[in-house]
Amino acid sequence: MNDTVLGVRDVTKVFAEGRQRVEVLKGITMDVAAGELVALEGPSGSGKTTLLSIMGCILTPSSGELAVAGRPVRSSDEAALREVRRQSIGFVFQQYNLFPALTALENVEYSLNVRGVSGRAAYVEAKRVLARVGLGDRLGFLPRDLSGGQKQRVAIARALAGSPPVLLADEPTANLDTATGAQILDLFQELAKAEDRGVLVVTHDPKVRRVADRVVGIRDGRLVDGDEEKAAA
Amino acid sequence: MVSLARKNLFHDRLRFVITVAGVAFAVTLVLVQVGLFMGLLDKSTVTIQHANADLWITSHNTPNVDFARTFPETAVLRARSVPGVTRADNLIVAFMTIQLPNGAAEGALVYALEDFASWNLPWNVQQGSPADLKRGYALLMDRSAALRYGAFAVGEQREILGRRFRIVGTTAEAASFTTTPIVFMDYRNAQELQEPLRGNTTYVLVRLAPGADARAVQTELRRRLPYNDVLTREEWALQSRNYWVKSTGLGMSMGVTVFLGILVGIVIVAQTLYTSAVEHIKEFGTVKAIGGSNFAIYRILGEQALIAAVIGFALGALFSYAARPLMAEIHLNVLLSPAFSAVVFAGTVLMCLGAALVSFRRVSAIDPALVFRT
Repeated sequence: MNDTVLGVRDVTKVFAEGRQRVEVLKGITMDVAAGELVALEGPSGSGKTTLLSIMGCILTPSSGELAVAGRPVRSSDEAALREVRRQSIGFVFQQYNLFPALTALENVEYSLNVRGVSGRAAYVEAKRVLARVGLGDRLGFLPRDLSGGQKQRVAIARALAGSPPVLLADEPTANLDTATGAQILDLFQELAKAEDRGVLVVTHDPKVRRVADRVVGIRDGRLVDGDEEKAAA
Repeated sequence: MVSLARKNLFHDRLRFVITVAGVAFAVTLVLVQVGLFMGLLDKSTVTIQHANADLWITSHNTPNVDFARTFPETAVLRARSVPGVTRADNLIVAFMTIQLPNGAAEGALVYALEDFASWNLPWNVQQGSPADLKRGYALLMDRSAALRYGAFAVGEQREILGRRFRIVGTTAEAASFTTTPIVFMDYRNAQELQEPLRGNTTYVLVRLAPGADARAVQTELRRRLPYNDVLTREEWALQSRNYWVKSTGLGMSMGVTVFLGILVGIVIVAQTLYTSAVEHIKEFGTVKAIGGSNFAIYRILGEQALIAAVIGFALGALFSYAARPLMAEIHLNVLLSPAFSAVVFAGTVLMCLGAALVSFRRVSAIDPALVFRT
């Protein structure tokens, strides 16, 4: 696809533990297009987090190719991987991973600082994305004073800051109640469609299927049909 | 820029207080101990610094100004004959025994000159006048003597080596390194008290003529007085200080104290920063995951160390400077100069940054993939 923003080709990942070699990913090929929300489902130990880490340029594959925002990524160069993460990928974590000492606004600003945006520009952009996720009135709140859904919205705002073309989310609804989880999923859908962003959501949550354009299943390090995966679940 | 370092540091207030207290303690320990040391050393050369002599003639190998040795007083005549010398006078410095009203005997360090005023000795006269020392058996006694001798007043009499002297005035700041009180009396009176002093002196004070070449005069004096040492004021002060530093183990003791102070500071700062780094490991993982480098995390730890250093130093210095008047009341001179404080500040910063290095290795090994672990 021409509008692919994230893709892997024949990716394998082997972890060596002593003399044992564990092949976690066995030749994965998949794409995420701009404006597409893809759900990646699989049981524990299936390799979905490893795949997410490779697609997020955090882990390097043992073999295969990775492309982010249309550019191939040289997986051996840590600085290059870091640069791709800074410029092209936003992360949303299951545990939110907010900085507890920073307010909502500062959490987003700090992320922008890491991405090389500072001063007034960072402040304005942080305010914009927090307003975008509906937290314009919670700028000065510390994470401890926010609800789970609000924390996840701050995490999403942090991931959106700097407008990366790719958003990767790891179990974003796992710690949220049903209603809040649904709101967050709607937000992901909106972010994919309205801002032409590629969104990959790793999840156990069947409700993600409601908003996903495509469901990809993974089992024992291989992709399986998403519906088959659903049936297995 | 949002300072994650500062925010994290102030977020955990208890740890911050412990870190800063550790630094402040180390700074106070070093400042007060070294200040006391410098104050003591200052006492060892206080008369050298205040007497306006350019050169001191001593007997060979005199270790310090208090432990004077005798030589013929005619040496002063040779000194006066050297071109470039505008004035030269004998000075006697000698330990003598003083009898107290309660019957006890104590030591006194006698300074005796013919003309005190010409040599700025004593330099801080509180009561009376050095000119009064010419009026019979008279002496000026330093106020610090009250600690050793008990209270005394002008007009009272004290017996030194069997001779009754009248206290005609008091001085201040004239205390020797050995804590033996200094008393000032006329040169001839001092010679009369001790047989070895008759016809002898312990020092010759030399003042140079304006424009005279100190080195040339010093060389000529050495040539004419081959059995004496001729030292500039600075050389003599350094020799006196070095004697106490080296022969008493004071220098070693001070070095150990400073080392311990620095060690305490490093251990406390390193321990608290390391614990903090370990507790924030997931945050640092997040920083790396969103594109931050190891250097970005080193900067966080370095900034925290720097903040602890600055605030800890400020508190430590404040406490040390505030303690000075209190310690002065018990006659302990804590000598703190801005230059030395600046050196301690630089040392504190280095100490804290050094302590932060301990955590660098830990955070450099953080795997950003840990952000996906619950």
